[in-house]
Amino acid sequence: MSTGEATRRAPNAYMPIPTRIGRMVGDIEDVFTWALEPSEPFEFAPGQFNMLYAHGVGEVPISISGDPTDPTVLHHTVRVVGKVTRALGALNVGDEIGVRGPFGSTWPLGQAIGQDVLFVAGGLGLAPLRPAILAVLARRGEFGQVSIIYGARSPEDILFRRELEAWRGRFDVDLEAIVDRSGTDWYGRVGVVTRLVAEADVDPETSVAMVCGPEIMMRFTARELEQRGFEQDQIWVSLERSMKCAVGLCGHCQLGGTFVCKDGPVYRYDEVAAKMLVRGL
Amino acid sequence: MEDLESILKQHPFLEDLQPEQVKLIVGCAKNLRFKPGEFLAREGQKEACLSLIRRGTVAIETHAPNGETMCIETLMPGDVLGLSWITPATAHFDCRARETVIAFSLDHGCLVGKMKEDPAFGYAITSRLLDNTYQRLSRLRLQKLDVYR
Ligand SMILES: Cc1cc2nc3c(=O)[nH]c(=O)nc-3n(C[C@H](O)[C@H](O)[C@H](O)COP(=O)(O)OP(=O)(O)OC[C@H]3O[C@@H](n4cnc5c(N)ncnc54)[C@H](O)[C@@H]3O)c2cc1C
Ligand code: FES
Repeated sequence: MSTGEATRRAPNAYMPIPTRIGRMVGDIEDVFTWALEPSEPFEFAPGQFNMLYAHGVGEVPISISGDPTDPTVLHHTVRVVGKVTRALGALNVGDEIGVRGPFGSTWPLGQAIGQDVLFVAGGLGLAPLRPAILAVLARRGEFGQVSIIYGARSPEDILFRRELEAWRGRFDVDLEAIVDRSGTDWYGRVGVVTRLVAEADVDPETSVAMVCGPEIMMRFTARELEQRGFEQDQIWVSLERSMKCAVGLCGHCQLGGTFVCKDGPVYRYDEVAAKMLVRGL
Repeated sequence: MEDLESILKQHPFLEDLQPEQVKLIVGCAKNLRFKPGEFLAREGQKEACLSLIRRGTVAIETHAPNGETMCIETLMPGDVLGLSWITPATAHFDCRARETVIAFSLDHGCLVGKMKEDPAFGYAITSRLLDNTYQRLSRLRLQKLDVYR
């Protein structure tokens, strides 16, 4: 499915390019964001991912979380969960990693031109959506109403907090955040992200929704959007599956008849809704 | 100035009730104002009324033995508080006004009496309570899954 946005292709899809870690931002516990310094300008489209290689340990798919209009710096936001991400997290500024990419499909920004855009992000799902949000804000006049809904586990787990606050301060963006639980020092909303979806001031007739987060959250969000009158073909989601080659050869990322590395990770919801309901797929 | 009846029927919980049904509620309703920090309900105390929130945020809270207070959900204008009220039961959580809260308080004895007398009215209120309970339950289930971990 074409998203109407030009996908970028890796110059050499099989060869990791040595890339230096220029800056590291400690976002939240167990999550870090890197500003990598590519030796050549690195073009990508919002929604795409790279394979990041920790020397001698292994390679993992990680979405690009930076600004698509700036090819001089490459941002990745990583949660430490296992062997490879732990090895990546142990690296320092100045160290090198291998980068293979970019791969995969993109958020449907071309199709969203002239439409209202609703971004719904949960937890770390804000990272893959961030390039799309930055692209929309950079070309703000081409879109209708822009709404961002963000859900996190707790106030301490809010990703890119300062940036979210800055977006919330704009007159041309509606942003609402909610956390699953909090203490008494949080004055924002407490509850699940679907609550904000149910209340959002959006017109399904004229909107495109881009949703990213844990898969259960995306299913619940899509259901809520459908209840609000969205058709499945107005909703886009980004899926994650275990990957090895990232070029559609090994079959590790297969989801029914599609390869998430090549046909995804961004899908129009009607293409994957039924597959997302199959246990174990 | 708008009278109680016309304000009451604007609350989402009472949307689409018949005019005569709204009139039945008027006799059981009080318009209450809670200061920031004031409790609308306390854990362990009897819930004698159903509150229809009109303005402000209510935090549903509980506390751990170390004194830490946790907020489980915030309720907003349009929400209802005291869903277990029909039984009537005791509150399971503290419900604290985070800022000035204005709410209609529907008295239990008064409203349940009218619901028993008029089954159509009873059904209309009960189905709204069930719908709210179901929505609250679905949200809590998603919350319990702790998906962002
Ligand atoms: C297209 C795509 C984009 C991604 N973007 C990002 C990103 O921007 N930031 C980020 O931190 N992660 C992202 N991921 C997930 C990331 O690839 C995995 O967390 C990583 O592969 C784990 O490798 P590991 O060796 O550290 O952990 P492993 O040792 O392989 O696994 C450790 C634990 O993590 C679980 N796990 C592994 N992979 C995933 C996954 N995809 N989702 C959830 N749990 C998983 C395993 O079940 C296991 O319990 C993305 C995945 C895909 C497919
Ligand atoms: S990762 Fe090999 S086919 Fe997708």
